Amino acid sequence: MTETTKTPPADPTPAPAPHGLIPLPPAAARALLLLGSVATAASAFLAWTWTAEFPGDLTITGYPGGLQWLTFTAGVLTALLTLASYGIRGLGWLLPARNNAPLVLTAIGGFAVTWFTVIAISAELGGLANLEPGGWIAAIASLIPLIGAFALPQDGNTTDGGKEALKAYIAKPDRIPAPTPTAPWIQRAAITAVTALGLGVFTYGIDTEYGELFVGYLIVVVFTVWALHTAGLLDRFSHLIAGNRSFTLAMGFLAAIAFPFTQTNDHYANIGVNILIFGTVALGLNIVVGLAGLLDLGYVAFLGVGAYTAALVSGSEFSKFSGVQFPFWAAALTGAAASLVFGVLIGAPTLRLRGDYLAIVTLGFGEIFRIAVNNMDGDSGPDITNGPNGIPAIPDLDFFGFDFGETHDLGGFTLGRFANYYLLMVLIMAIVVLVYTRAADSRIGRSWIAIREDETAATAMGINGFRVKLIAFALGAALAGLAGTVSAHVTYSVVPTPYQFAGSTPPNSAFLLAAVVLGGMGTVAGPLLGAALLYLLPEKLVFLQDKSLLAFGIALILLMRFRPEGIIANRRRQLEFHETGQLDVPQQTTLTDEPAVTKAGA
Amino acid sequence: MTTMTTTSVLEARGVTMRFGGLTAVRSVDFTVNTGEIVGLIGPNGAGKTTFFNCLTGLYIPTEGTVSYKGTVLPPKPHLVTKAGVARTFQNIRLFANMTVLENVLVGRHTRTKEGLWSALLRGPGFRKAERASEERAMELLGFIGLAHKRDHLARNLPYGEQRKLEIARALASEPGLLLLDEPTAGMNPQETRATEELVFAIRDKGIAVLVIEHDMRFIFNLCDRVAVLVQGEKLIEGTSDVVQADERVIAAYLGEPFEGDPGEAEAAEVTAAEATADATADTPSTTGTPGTTKGDAQ
Amino acid sequence: MNTLPQQLANGLLLGSMYGLIAIGYTMVYGIVQLINFAHGEIFMTGAFGALTVYFYVLPDGTTMWAAVPLMLIGGAIVAILVAVGAERFAYRPLRQAPRLAPLITAIGLSLALQEVVRNFYPGADKARAFPSLDTTHDIGSVTIKDADIFLILAAVVCMASLAVFVRRSRTGRAMQATAQDPDTAQLMGIDTNRIIVIAFAIGGFFAAVAAVAYGLKYGNVDYRMGFLMGLKAFTAAVLGGIGNIYGAMLGGIVLGIAETLASAYIDEIPGMQQLGGQSWANVWAFCLLILVLLFRPQGLLGERVADRA
Repeated sequence: MTETTKTPPADPTPAPAPHGLIPLPPAAARALLLLGSVATAASAFLAWTWTAEFPGDLTITGYPGGLQWLTFTAGVLTALLTLASYGIRGLGWLLPARNNAPLVLTAIGGFAVTWFTVIAISAELGGLANLEPGGWIAAIASLIPLIGAFALPQDGNTTDGGKEALKAYIAKPDRIPAPTPTAPWIQRAAITAVTALGLGVFTYGIDTEYGELFVGYLIVVVFTVWALHTAGLLDRFSHLIAGNRSFTLAMGFLAAIAFPFTQTNDHYANIGVNILIFGTVALGLNIVVGLAGLLDLGYVAFLGVGAYTAALVSGSEFSKFSGVQFPFWAAALTGAAASLVFGVLIGAPTLRLRGDYLAIVTLGFGEIFRIAVNNMDGDSGPDITNGPNGIPAIPDLDFFGFDFGETHDLGGFTLGRFANYYLLMVLIMAIVVLVYTRAADSRIGRSWIAIREDETAATAMGINGFRVKLIAFALGAALAGLAGTVSAHVTYSVVPTPYQFAGSTPPNSAFLLAAVVLGGMGTVAGPLLGAALLYLLPEKLVFLQDKSLLAFGIALILLMRFRPEGIIANRRRQLEFHETGQLDVPQQTTLTDEPAVTKAGA
Repeated sequence: MTTMTTTSVLEARGVTMRFGGLTAVRSVDFTVNTGEIVGLIGPNGAGKTTFFNCLTGLYIPTEGTVSYKGTVLPPKPHLVTKAGVARTFQNIRLFANMTVLENVLVGRHTRTKEGLWSALLRGPGFRKAERASEERAMELLGFIGLAHKRDHLARNLPYGEQRKLEIARALASEPGLLLLDEPTAGMNPQETRATEELVFAIRDKGIAVLVIEHDMRFIFNLCDRVAVLVQGEKLIEGTSDVVQADERVIAAYLGEPFEGDPGEAEAAEVTAAEATADATADTPSTTGTPGTTKGDAQ
Repeated sequence: MNTLPQQLANGLLLGSMYGLIAIGYTMVYGIVQLINFAHGEIFMTGAFGALTVYFYVLPDGTTMWAAVPLMLIGGAIVAILVAVGAERFAYRPLRQAPRLAPLITAIGLSLALQEVVRNFYPGADKARAFPSLDTTHDIGSVTIKDADIFLILAAVVCMASLAVFVRRSRTGRAMQATAQDPDTAQLMGIDTNRIIVIAFAIGGFFAAVAAVAYGLKYGNVDYRMGFLMGLKAFTAAVLGGIGNIYGAMLGGIVLGIAETLASAYIDEIPGMQQLGGQSWANVWAFCLLILVLLFRPQGLLGERVADRA
């Protein structure tokens, strides 16, 4: 609902006059929507500018390029939804509630991405003169569905004007009609299709070559996802997932594995592997923060412990133990074990106390770790880590003769160095996801949640709070250590700088926490999505790099204020954070067919 | 003091609790026998909850011992529960954002052993234990009549059902003794009567019950034996009739001077000290303070 | 030459600075049980507020005698505004939220404040020079600077006034009542929101005093200075017993002395030759925190068990 918080500022959301929600008969409005969106899609085939200086080459008539594709997509989506609202057979599933909000949102999305492009062209090339007639046509065409959309009646029966009237346009209806039961194979086919589509969309995002395209991509994705949310399709999909959990997981991993095969440039596989490392660590942190409710602010130090341990036993000639070269499985275990030991050392004295102490002690530990590795160079401390120079020249991994540093050809696909590591990381992530889901749904996971909910009551139920918290903390540390061992090999070298509390590039503890919080605490997909977003944003938007930390700081504050459950809300969390009770009736009630009586109990 | 015909489940000997200079509970001896429902009453600030917390390991008594079936209880709440003494809270403390079933499953914690490894490996033993736990939990939900709400979030239950769920959660730990801290607080007469029946049913399962209450009628209907705590000391103990007839009890409740001056001030001090100490162990609780029972029960 | 008195003096000075900052942590925590992680950044903004007064408000050539009080006022205004603004707009809406929420907000706030200064304050992406008071005096074997005298005086005056304020004034007593039991205090007619704002404001003021002292002593300030100082000050607050204002100062001084002595002498212990010096001081401070949490979690002056509520 407050996805607006992450809408790029470039989005010129139109603000019709408070009452002037365009007076037109609904039929005309719908017709405007349909015609306008088709026209928008069509305008993508025109030349928008005269020079290829603007990235993506928007000069060719008859063939859309770059941002034009996004306009095209948005136009087609709006058209499809409008057709669905006409009740065209075969499209009804797109709009189960027959509400207008999805139309409005996709129309805004199309308008926003088109106008963003046109404005970007004018701004970057220096003036409106750089627009070809096609650009003007696109701008006007994308405005038409917007007029149509705001001429439609709101879904809710809002009579007040102003902000409320606008809000009613994009509100999700309270009740989405239950889906008609479908055969299992259809459900699975749907999941497969959505996963494939997701992979496609995600890959497109990673492969965007310039910032403007990425911004346009984000605009379209945000408004489309938002539209699907208000249409109730996301709810339906999560029901579908709930019914086919292991199938969805399997499809997810298949999609993850498929990613490097879609890439021709190893650079994007590099981004992929970094997102995976970052995401895996965030998921580990999610056990600690999301499940057990322990705020760990020095989590990246455990990644560092793992990375340094792996580097020390990697056989690098700059390692203190340069003669030692562990096989990878042994190095991974050593790294995880070392992190675990540190986790217990930090956790044991602090977990007996109130949670806030843990936050500050872990913050301290994170800082101490960085200082210590910086100083252990033989000059200002014992000679272990080479100080600020770190341990370079970490050799590539070698599994049974499969050298990760080499390019391999696999059935017509070429897998570069980063693609190799990417696949290894998928394996590690699979392990972490498995650990997370299995632990969460068990006696120990329940006791973590119980501790998070009410520690006194949990102890009175026989839970040894200290023990289960320590297990969560140590498990989180060990998983971070495991991820660290791979990251040491991926980056060739380990240096102290990334392992700090806050910095402008991931990983650091603040980014990790932000990934978990932004994505959604206590979910599997949330931290992964959060990690991907937080990694891609500074990577793609170079101009933002300097301000990225500022943006994250403000984003954290706003998130806690307006959508503390993150993008992907855990059902529990969502209920926990919004006390007002508008969400108090869980989806489950439609299944048990018993309206839950909501009463603010103790 | 009590007739020792049956074996004792809980035995408190000379329990004293001091907070700084303040004595909230003064050398209280107290016994609960098998198959008994015992009530503990007293005016506000008499030290009932303090005493309760001493029994459940939340506080470590300054002096004296508490033993369960002959063994001294360790001063840790989770070990007390493990030993077989389960409790509920005066202000309902459910795991509000867990489902009804999950709440009861958490209660099974001490009676199951599956650790992290078995959760990760998911061997046949794990599945069997999970299934058994769930069956047992559903049985208990059936017992309190909430089986049809297993997948509701605890916070969405009406007040009376939250109280019941808390009892079911406590029963899930298979206790030999159940401690109920003001189980009818905030309930209407019908709900109170239902609770009464529930307590009898629990006793019939062979579980001894100790109840703290303000609601006299409830206590005297329910209990085999009643003890009265005033100013941290046990004033009298006996059957309902004996206690009801005792004029000192009436005096204590009406606020007549008794053995020196009880005084509002001192009672308030006890409450304050308790509040402070209460807070030692817990996270900020949702303090939905229900109205006093007396008002509601009339 | 015996360096011990000098080291003790250094430790005492550093510790008073920690103590001044720690007051902010301890007062806010005592009343709302919130660790205001952003307090270190409030300290930092105080320093930049004072810097602004010196470079952009005062005419060139103002004597330090005149400048220091004005810088103090400027720093205090900025720090108090930031602290009160943080309370009003970031923390207050979250007062009923789950515990994790305000902590995360605090982290966000702390990042945002650092970055605002780094991005928008002229020249603040690197350390900025701060007018310093470098004139030295020898007292026996101890050498101190004018800045040190300012620091000690400020710490003593501030602590004394705070003690009087809390004990004697109506607001101070209301503050104690709120710390004991916010709900009851509210029932007794105390405006708890006002009390909380005052606690934040006092914390901000003390942080600004510490910030000016820091600048005068070290001669430069930077946008990251709040992070470690804040961390140490929080350690000091825990060390002294969080919630206790005298504990905060005592904890600060103990921490300062321990840290100074450790970095000065620990390398004389056989086997620890390489662990001395300033670079390891933070490590020892942190170890001290762990030890305190292990053996006396309620802190030196903490009466009630530290994990209240």
